[in-house]
Amino acid sequence: MKEILVVDDSATMRRMVMASLRDLKNVNFKEANNGLEAIEQLVIAPVDLMILDLNMPDMHGLEVLQFVRSHQSYSSIPIIVLTTRGDESSRNNALAAGASRYLTKPFEPRSLALAAQELLNQNLCQL
Amino acid sequence: MTNLFSSFLDDYFAECDEHLMAIRQNLLFVEPYVNQPLLSRSILDKLFGSFHSIKGLSGMVGVNEAEQLAHEMESYLRALRDNKVVLTTEGLDALLSGTKILEEVITAYRIQNPAPDIVPICDRFRTIFTKPEAQEQEQSGLQEKVELNLSGQSTPTVPDTQPKTLKSLKLKPEESIQLAAALEEGNRAWQFEFLPGTEKAARGINVNTVRQRLQSIGELIHAEPIALENGGIAFDFIVVSHADTDTFADWEKDGITYLPYSQQEIKSQTSKVKSQNEEWESGITPEPQHPRKAENLDRLSPTPPLVPSPTALFTVAPSNVVRVDLARLDELMQMVGELVITRSRLEDNLNNLKPILPASHLRTLRETNLTLERQLRDLREGVMRVRMVPIGEIFVRMQFAIRDLVKQTQKQVVLEVSGETTEIDKFIVERMINPLLHLVRNAVSHGLEEQQERVRCGKSPQGKIALRAATVGEIVTIEIEDDGRGVDVEAVTSSAREQGSLGADTTLSSETLLDLICSSGFSTRKEADLTSGRGVGMTIVKNTVTELGGFLSLDTQVGRGTRFIIQLPLTLAIADALIVSVSGQTFAIPLSSVHEITQVPSADVTLYPTFANASVLGGEWGDKFFKPLRESKWENNEMIAHRGTVLPLLRLARIFNLENEIPSSDAEDNLYPTLKKELNTQTNIPQSINSQSLLNLIVVGNGFSAAAIVVDRILGQREIVVRPLTDPLVQVRGIAGATELGDGYPVLILDIIALTRAARIKN
Repeated sequence: MKEILVVDDSATMRRMVMASLRDLKNVNFKEANNGLEAIEQLVIAPVDLMILDLNMPDMHGLEVLQFVRSHQSYSSIPIIVLTTRGDESSRNNALAAGASRYLTKPFEPRSLALAAQELLNQNLCQL
Repeated sequence: MTNLFSSFLDDYFAECDEHLMAIRQNLLFVEPYVNQPLLSRSILDKLFGSFHSIKGLSGMVGVNEAEQLAHEMESYLRALRDNKVVLTTEGLDALLSGTKILEEVITAYRIQNPAPDIVPICDRFRTIFTKPEAQEQEQSGLQEKVELNLSGQSTPTVPDTQPKTLKSLKLKPEESIQLAAALEEGNRAWQFEFLPGTEKAARGINVNTVRQRLQSIGELIHAEPIALENGGIAFDFIVVSHADTDTFADWEKDGITYLPYSQQEIKSQTSKVKSQNEEWESGITPEPQHPRKAENLDRLSPTPPLVPSPTALFTVAPSNVVRVDLARLDELMQMVGELVITRSRLEDNLNNLKPILPASHLRTLRETNLTLERQLRDLREGVMRVRMVPIGEIFVRMQFAIRDLVKQTQKQVVLEVSGETTEIDKFIVERMINPLLHLVRNAVSHGLEEQQERVRCGKSPQGKIALRAATVGEIVTIEIEDDGRGVDVEAVTSSAREQGSLGADTTLSSETLLDLICSSGFSTRKEADLTSGRGVGMTIVKNTVTELGGFLSLDTQVGRGTRFIIQLPLTLAIADALIVSVSGQTFAIPLSSVHEITQVPSADVTLYPTFANASVLGGEWGDKFFKPLRESKWENNEMIAHRGTVLPLLRLARIFNLENEIPSSDAEDNLYPTLKKELNTQTNIPQSINSQSLLNLIVVGNGFSAAAIVVDRILGQREIVVRPLTDPLVQVRGIAGATELGDGYPVLILDIIALTRAARIKN
């Protein structure tokens, strides 16, 4: 079973993300409402893929990304940054900080599912 | 967008509603900062976040107008937040109108109407705030955060040499300012550290609950994850608080340790901020118009009184909230109601078993039945609680309406709000929004005088409007009060006479006054204007309140002000009631309004003849039941002395024509009042009074509106499922609804408020 952590401060958006990924096989979803909660989830149980929103209160998604990448135990987790249209300028920042993929909202459910599947497979190969 | 997301429309609307509510609330907090350089950053962050979320969600479900408008508003807020522009009056106005239009766009989409035109408002934002060049925009927003991470410290990994020492934290400049301001107010700063873990999470101790705990003792300034040397992760928080260490000393068992956050540390932080500011000024980011320097700290401390700690307002993490369609809750309540009826039936059947079952068996059955009743009651309360929402949501809308009107009318208004946490059924709240808005608009546009007039009358130039809510028993009272000119009784009287709804010689009591104001099409104005409308608003107010089983009353004094009092039931669905019978008919009396059940000798009843004028029997009500009496100009008011006061007796048999009506009088009445009085005692009063029998009385109502209802028998106490009688053909004043006790026969529920009002005796 693969664990996917969906980080977004909007519950509806999290549900939309999960709905887009529901056809993936053998996955289990976890949710986090903010950056700190996302990091806590990593500590509590292993995560195979993180889908991360950028504009969140308290801790910006970019900070979460940087923290995870700099941490010895979690740096290799694939992370899809999923952010709202108009923030495209942050694409370079996000990729530079170590985002595995960069998608914008509104997103095509299929492209998100495809990206997620790809990253999960990759991760499998690495193991 | 894709069909996949259309199933999320309800969630979309609900979440947008939440954000719009938060936006309205936060915009009110922002208002005092117009043209002030230093605006509370955390509120701007929240506003920005709300618009950002609406924009993102609208894009997903394909509400493009909302996405576009939210984008414009978000850009403006970003500029405000990053101190590139100062909030102007035009800016605030645009934000307010934009919010309104945004709401309209979303509502239009919900009810499948064409969306309003957003081009003018988008243009307005573009003129107020000329967007920076594309390149500059690229730097905005995220740039600052990236900057922070690149400046100063290298990686978040901080050596964890000694366990109980402070880890150095990276405060953002605005956080340092916030910290310094809080310390100046005499708070102490603490650094808390929490080590998250699986076992703790299972016990419900996680970063969110810890954060809530910290917010409960003071102001949370900063939160940051720390990578520990052993590969673990800790969360560090800086909190400023007045609280004693005793408050959080035993949190250590939950893995929350603390140390004072040293002055030293703070100083170095502040100096870092300064150097960062200088860095900024050197050209990476555009120079803020009002750099956050020490002298600006003073500006932050005198926070306007309207602003409570912004963090305290929305501490509930949205992830803990489940949204449910109200219709589903209605169904659930309906099912609970049916369960209640079934249990009543079970109890009746149990009683039938009494002669055949051995006592021991019967007892255990009864115990089970009682347990079932208790559990059902808990279930009912649980469902009821789910339906409750704080009334503050409406109050915020009302504040908005007032603000809009104040601008149009040039009046100054001080608003007092109390009891905004009072909870009330969601259904009732939804239905009451428009009526309450109408009352508030009336208060501002008609109630309050122009400034000069107020000064002339010796009042303060600022008008006062108070919104209050409170729960007493199972009744919620909402009051809207202004200290304006009061209702002009003269004008209402003459208008009413012109329109023929009031006799030439009758005077007005507050009830008839209210009835007149609320009668359809009544207006003292010759022409409708923007704010006052055409006189149908009050009719809607009154009808809505009545439909909800509530009561509207008015208290006004010329020159002193007007107060509307709305009493509403806490919830509509299920209530405890006393079941009584009168003349063979069964009635239910809501237990919440019953004060006492007593018996008095019928000889104690005294007869008190009063002049039955319009002031006692207003409008429709009087016509329906007391017309014959009014025509005769006489009314039999039976009274009883009770606990040092006098209570009018209510005979349901007479009110609902369950027995022979009192014969109408003839012309002699006017000539021989005393004789008639005696005659009444002899002939019109039911037999029971003349005999020495006892009367069963149920004392209901409060204070001046208390009355005693005469009943033949009291059958018991039951939980009843209230089914309102909404069909105008079967509506009867004095009857609030109907219920069923499990035997299939309907039982009418008495409307105590209406009955006692009618019984109230005027001198």
